[in-house]
Amino acid sequence: MIRAALIGNPNVGKTEIFNRLTGLSQRVGNFPGVTVEKKAGRFYHRGEVVEVVDLPGIYSLTCNARDELVARQYLVEERPQVVVDVVDGTSLERNLYLTSLLQEMEANLVLAVNRWDMVKARNMHIDLEGLSELMGCPAVFTVATTGYGLQTLKEAIIQAAKKRDRKPIMPTYADREEGLIKELEGIISQDRSLPKRYPKRWLAIMLIEKDRLVWELVAGSLSSDQVSRIEEVILR
Amino acid sequence: MDISAILAKSRYDRIKDIVDQTVTSDKGAVKTYTEMLDRAFLHRYLGIPIFLTFLWVMFQFAFTVSEPFAVMIEEAFSLLGGVAEQRISQPHLASFIAQGVFGGLGAVLVFIPPIFGLFLALSILEDSGYLARAAFLMDRLMSRLGLCGHSFIPMMIGFGCNVPAIMATRSMNDERDRMITILVSPFISCSARLPVYVLIAGAVFGPAYAGTAVFSVYAIGIALAILSALAFRKTLFRGETSPFLLELPEYAMPNARSALLHMWARGRAFLHRAGTLIFGTTVIVWFLSVNPWEATGGGQLVAESYLAQLGHAMQPLVSPLGWDWMTAVALLFGLLAKEVVVGTYGVLLGTGEATLGESLVSLGIFTPLSGFAFMCFVLIYVPCAATLGAISRETNSIRWPAFVLVFQTALAFAVSGLVVGAGRLLGFA
Repeated sequence: MIRAALIGNPNVGKTEIFNRLTGLSQRVGNFPGVTVEKKAGRFYHRGEVVEVVDLPGIYSLTCNARDELVARQYLVEERPQVVVDVVDGTSLERNLYLTSLLQEMEANLVLAVNRWDMVKARNMHIDLEGLSELMGCPAVFTVATTGYGLQTLKEAIIQAAKKRDRKPIMPTYADREEGLIKELEGIISQDRSLPKRYPKRWLAIMLIEKDRLVWELVAGSLSSDQVSRIEEVILR
Repeated sequence: MDISAILAKSRYDRIKDIVDQTVTSDKGAVKTYTEMLDRAFLHRYLGIPIFLTFLWVMFQFAFTVSEPFAVMIEEAFSLLGGVAEQRISQPHLASFIAQGVFGGLGAVLVFIPPIFGLFLALSILEDSGYLARAAFLMDRLMSRLGLCGHSFIPMMIGFGCNVPAIMATRSMNDERDRMITILVSPFISCSARLPVYVLIAGAVFGPAYAGTAVFSVYAIGIALAILSALAFRKTLFRGETSPFLLELPEYAMPNARSALLHMWARGRAFLHRAGTLIFGTTVIVWFLSVNPWEATGGGQLVAESYLAQLGHAMQPLVSPLGWDWMTAVALLFGLLAKEVVVGTYGVLLGTGEATLGESLVSLGIFTPLSGFAFMCFVLIYVPCAATLGAISRETNSIRWPAFVLVFQTALAFAVSGLVVGAGRLLGFA
């Protein structure tokens, strides 16, 4: 069975895509410990079973808002094999911000560029292959309201789950920030469990952004000496 | 610049670069309707006046369309009340049916048409995508004042009922912003207060100006919510507000089916309350108004009833504002549900030849000035019991609801007093 998660900004048609993919097989529950609804369902394609979880519609992945935290915890703790990021083709510039954050988490992404009908209606043109290349992940045009592109999306999810030699691309920063990230990664690498459970680079970036939960996580695992070295690096 | 902001900026720069390479759009292409409309509706200076105009039109629409239906219901209940009084031989039962049910509850049910009319207008505004713009405009205004625009979303729910509005604050991230929103939510006029406004405004200002009077009370409520939020931010909850992200959907043609469904979903709650809480409280009012049975001559002499005694005891509190004992008891029972204010007048003034509104004026209970002061008082004074309960649950304390109760009652007296004082200075009676 392939485990996939569906994520995206609010109002991009993510839930319609989820409904189209899973049809009548949906189950509703709660994410552990919070009253955020968790919807899961499955589909069958070419003999494969794919279990899909619908994550809340969000703009970023901080730990301040409940919905964002739920989505983030699911992604880092459950590590779904494929993460389908549904983006609104008519406003890629805004939607791709979440995509960049997902890249930093080293999620195995498939980009569903939704509302393709609206894109065409506005005389816009999107170079899908170029986008796929620059983002380092497969990209598919969809129209959730009519079901256009859903078979291609299913195929892409299965291909992505099976692919062995992934070459993920992620945002790079100016030299000063990259230097900080490298140093922090170095300190995190000394720990026995952290690098196995979480992407090092993501932990480093979250530390720089002073994310409360990642701080607690890292402080709980590292020695006090290492923690004070991290503080030193960040305060610089 | 903060380092998180530097990281965010480089992410955005990279995205812009990618989008520039992959997306081409027809330059000079026709502007979408949404862009054109937003240019006007979100205009820096014209936006808020346009919003207020929409609100005003909404009230005019709701009242004008609903008026004939309200009159029909009123006449039907008055007819039924008369029939019950004559045909039912058991005097207690006759009084209960005629005064309690048709007089009291009937007086509240008359307001089904305007309430549903207002909900229909709200649903149309929401489905068209305009309501999100209203939130955006309010955010711009409120963030300039140092307040969180996020508060406006729960407040808009409050036009229906304050209880779900207070519950909706759970979606707010910042605890201080959330507390402020909870504390000012009751200033947003809920549908329970609407029957009072419509009754009094219709009676003292006449149908031509009633809509404008009701609109102004709603506007006063919004202004008070913003001013108190500002006061709380400066005193009880100091600090920065959190930024607020809001997505503006495309404008869409509202369709009749979904507008009616939304109207029904909102209006159903009113019908449910009418059948339970409002009916129950009205029965209590009726009971107190006909007893002691001998002294009141079977409910004929209300002045001898327990209700009148209670009212006279309370009257000194409200007489400076120009209100009599009936108004005092109406306000008291309105604590349970504000619609009962109307129900109380219904029980007391009965189902005679004249309509309830006509009686209020001809008996000298309200002048335009004291009537408007009363509308303001009903807007501001103690939120209903259910709202206090919701505040207690959401703040996990009894201190905050107690604070709201004292603060709002004091403010209600202050504002109504101001209205009466200023009105008299200007020469109104």
